Amino acid sequence: MTNFGKLVRARREALRREDSRYSVRQVAQRIGVQPSYLSKVERGDVAPPSETTICKIADELDENSDVLLAMAGKVSSDLQDAIRKRPEVFAELIRELRNQPDHAVLRLVREVRDGEW
Amino acid sequence: MIELEDDHLVFSFSDVHRDARLTIGFQRTLRIPDDGRKYPLPPGLGRFPLRHVDDFAPRVPGTWLTHGGVMMPMYQSEALWLHFSSSYPFAVKVATGKVDAVSGKTWTDGLHRKPQDYLVVPRQPWLDGYNVGRGVIRQFVAMPLGAGYTVEEQVTGEAEAGGLQIIVYPMTSESYERYTRRMEVFSRPALMARKARAASVGVDMGLAPGGRMRQEIYKDQYDFSDWDHGRSSRCFVHMANSLAWGSITGERPPHAPVTAAAYKRAGLPWFEFYGDGETVSASSVLQKVKSVVGLATVKGDVPLPENESVEIPEDEIVRLRRNLRPDQVREGQF
Repeated sequence: MTNFGKLVRARREALRREDSRYSVRQVAQRIGVQPSYLSKVERGDVAPPSETTICKIADELDENSDVLLAMAGKVSSDLQDAIRKRPEVFAELIRELRNQPDHAVLRLVREVRDGEW
Repeated sequence: MIELEDDHLVFSFSDVHRDARLTIGFQRTLRIPDDGRKYPLPPGLGRFPLRHVDDFAPRVPGTWLTHGGVMMPMYQSEALWLHFSSSYPFAVKVATGKVDAVSGKTWTDGLHRKPQDYLVVPRQPWLDGYNVGRGVIRQFVAMPLGAGYTVEEQVTGEAEAGGLQIIVYPMTSESYERYTRRMEVFSRPALMARKARAASVGVDMGLAPGGRMRQEIYKDQYDFSDWDHGRSSRCFVHMANSLAWGSITGERPPHAPVTAAAYKRAGLPWFEFYGDGETVSASSVLQKVKSVVGLATVKGDVPLPENESVEIPEDEIVRLRRNLRPDQVREGQF
């Protein structure tokens, strides 16, 4: 079982204990795959699904899609596009920041949020 | 986008031009007497701390979360001025309680030329208050929202928004390359605050007109089409009563600044700035609003402690850039 599959199963089972709508069959139906395929994904018998399906799983299980994509060995296409546009800048930025604590990284990239007024 | 850096708001438009970066600081200062006289510029007494409202979501009013932006602590009757720093030209609208501090009009996004409702940075290095006369402003002074003193309440009759609102428009990159303006750096010294003062309760603060001060608000010398009207960033700056700042953030608010009289007794300098260029006319709306003391007299309140007049000798006024061209280096005494 892969870490990705383990996390999906653990999260789904936790939700199922509270709500029967989180059975393999019903979740598979809502994200548009066969139940047998979702079982194989959870067991790690097949490679993780596509980015679109992972994002649907994340949405269904209320998980962060970037975290699930990373666990599946993928990077979301919008991030890939951003890196492709400025590969040197982002490569240098990521290498610079990889050992920084979260609060330092958040401080670096955080914007002031505008609301409604 | 807007970021918080060392208690400054930093507006950057990297998609417009790599130089398109504006820093706005909120300086603590002494409150000049509200006695009808015109005073020179007071000093900076250090920056107000700025925090994201989202970081303190459970303890701030719900409307602050709707507005987004940042917050800072202010004592009742404390004054502030805004410091703009940029080498790239920006049009900057500043409003308090969603009433424009230059034109007196109620808030709308977008720039307007007649009457001009924005400042042009870097020509305008500072803003200390409301445009109430050509070359004269009334100082920004914090008062509790709902007490009837803020400009918002006097102009709109409502106490809804409070705080301070800023929207920034960069010059287009094509116009910038054409003008190749040079940056001027002006400074007013930062001094240490020394004396705490009691304040009244109430979390949400707004700004009201205080004493009169000599300060020019410059006319836009560029073409209106030089501004990139399609790109802007805006920020709502909420003002929390300093007495509530600790319970919201867990941080101690700054001490209240010294009084004008104490500052004068210490023989410390005041300032006058001499820029070149035309200035905007007074706002007919803002000319009619009453100062805090003026309104308090009508109401029978005493909202401004320590408001005694001070005489400021000419030799205690530092005159910045008098009779100098914008690009001329000032020669000092040595």
